[in-house]
Amino acid sequence: MKRIYTVIKGHVKSWFRSRSTIFWTIAFPILLILLFGAIFGGGSQKFDLYVQNQDLVVQGQNLVASPTSQAYVQVLNGSQAFDIFQVPAAEDGVSYMKVDGRLHNRGQRLLVVPQGFEDSLNRNESVSIRFYADQTDQASSTLTGIVFGMTNAFAASRQGTPPILVQTESIATRSIRYIDFFIPGVIGMTLLTSGVFGAVSTNGRYRELKIIKKLATTPLSKVEWILGMIGYQMFLAAISVAVILVVGRFAFNVTAVVDVYTVALVVAAALLFPGIGMVLANFVKDADGAEAAANAITFPMMFLSGTFWPRETMPDFLKTVAGYLPLTYVNDGLRDAMIYLDPAQALNNTIIALGLALGFVILGSVLMNWKEE
Amino acid sequence: MEPIVQVENLTKKYGPLTAVDDVSFQLEKGSVFAFLGPNGAGKTTTVEILECLRSPTGGRARVLGYDVSKRSDQAQIRKQIGVLPQDFNAIDRLTVRENVEYFGAMFDRSLDPDELIDLVDLSDKRKELFKKLSGGLKQRVGLAVSLVNDPQLVFLDEPTTGLDPKARRDVWKVVEQLKRKGKTVFLTTHYMDEAEFLADTVSIIDHGKIIASGTPGQLIDSHGGRKTLVIRGAGEEGMKLLPESVPKAELHSAGDIHIPINNGADISRILISLGGTELAKNEIEVRRPNLDNVFLNLTGRRVTEEGELA
Repeated sequence: MKRIYTVIKGHVKSWFRSRSTIFWTIAFPILLILLFGAIFGGGSQKFDLYVQNQDLVVQGQNLVASPTSQAYVQVLNGSQAFDIFQVPAAEDGVSYMKVDGRLHNRGQRLLVVPQGFEDSLNRNESVSIRFYADQTDQASSTLTGIVFGMTNAFAASRQGTPPILVQTESIATRSIRYIDFFIPGVIGMTLLTSGVFGAVSTNGRYRELKIIKKLATTPLSKVEWILGMIGYQMFLAAISVAVILVVGRFAFNVTAVVDVYTVALVVAAALLFPGIGMVLANFVKDADGAEAAANAITFPMMFLSGTFWPRETMPDFLKTVAGYLPLTYVNDGLRDAMIYLDPAQALNNTIIALGLALGFVILGSVLMNWKEE
Repeated sequence: MEPIVQVENLTKKYGPLTAVDDVSFQLEKGSVFAFLGPNGAGKTTTVEILECLRSPTGGRARVLGYDVSKRSDQAQIRKQIGVLPQDFNAIDRLTVRENVEYFGAMFDRSLDPDELIDLVDLSDKRKELFKKLSGGLKQRVGLAVSLVNDPQLVFLDEPTTGLDPKARRDVWKVVEQLKRKGKTVFLTTHYMDEAEFLADTVSIIDHGKIIASGTPGQLIDSHGGRKTLVIRGAGEEGMKLLPESVPKAELHSAGDIHIPINNGADISRILISLGGTELAKNEIEVRRPNLDNVFLNLTGRRVTEEGELA
């Protein structure tokens, strides 16, 4: 235990005294958050509104929206207050909106015009529109007011029509801004780079400097050395994640949830990426070569795994490639857990990430020659 | 008393290459043993087998009474030996003292870091980061680190390679102190003068085989060849002035004339015959052969400063 602690302490001290590693683990992520936040921040705070028109009538061979319901949507649209997105009538409106909203980074609010809207109005019967929104979201509550107003205006424009009721349904959604999406990505990226490069340096470089050879002549065992390196990576991960979350919170009011999946994913990442670094350092014996290989692996992975932009916007073959990249599961899992509040998905990604982590750490440990030859 | 290191018919093969070829030797407690030879002769491979870093292909080796091929014995060996690997660097961003502490913490018991730092004469660099030190000082940190567990047996693999003459002397001083403290030192080197200066016993190794062993004096006596009388800076003209009674004289670099001699009678005879010539004004010295001559006579080749065969 004393030996493992000494290894961790040695790594931490070296890290703390190196300006470049401090930069990559702390300053660089902060810079990215501030930069990307400033460029893309606030862009999705506009009043996005999904509308599902279920009031269909038969016209010739086709089902089309009834003229009255169309007129109503026109009125809403005419207010210029919303960006309206149509939800196909056959879909489950709420889940369609959640998926599509997440994908395109739009506010998640849904207005459902029910089947029989036109008929009821023509018979002077009252009718209710369902409006799904997260009432805790400030933009949504403003928008609810506008929907009420426009609906009343529409009803008033039809003489003799009873008021149209707007029935608000509260749903737990989060209006996801770009910066909300970005924060878990920055965490994934930072864990990736500090893990891979950290392991290449503490294994490849230390081998070249004969530090590992020297340690191998002492009672320190290979397992103790690896545990020490992992302990150090856990420490780094904790610091990076804390710094990123604090900066996200105070600079852009990002409220990321830190739950058991978040913690498990950070732990998995702090095993997985050093594991990849160890495998590299042991395949490419020369430390410079191993660093080059680490660059060649981390940079494409960073972009393809959806660190900066949603993967859904990429061409299909790149999506396929992304499916094989470990960072994809860390990024997705972190977003599911921290931003989308989707524990089921987070669990899947956590399991995959932990599995990959164990695989790489074990492979790296087996490959690592503690002694010579 | 059992030797502190006992090696019998040790062999290490890498595929078709035999790096260490049927080597046998032993170290007595409290002695300085030098393994002398050019790069690639098998010095480091042998040392690393004794340090339990490599396993032998054949033969037996016992260190401090433990068998290097037995797992349970290896743990004991690691606890009790001190090692300075070839080209060793401590951790760049730790200070001298932190490095000594770091490696000390790998052992159950370790010496006071400050005492070790004093021993290698780095007291004023205690708080300096390792990476800021010069090559010679770095090597002294390596020496301190190799002594943290108060080992009875210390392996120093090429401890002065690449150092300037002053730094080499400083390392030698530390080795002499170790000897005074009764430590057994196993040194590898390609510097003939280093082996001659430090070692009680020298084994010369070439192409994986030990080609000669003994004290430096014994080796020089039996393989060094004859002594040489040197007339300094006499040049071509000096050669012409030599009396006919002085045969086999050779002109060397810097105009030195070398005359091989067999015994004291030779010296006085030659000096008397030079007495009547202008050569008597030159500086004249008797040079005894050294380990360079021994190596040259045994292998027909010299070892360069860099440790290569020439």
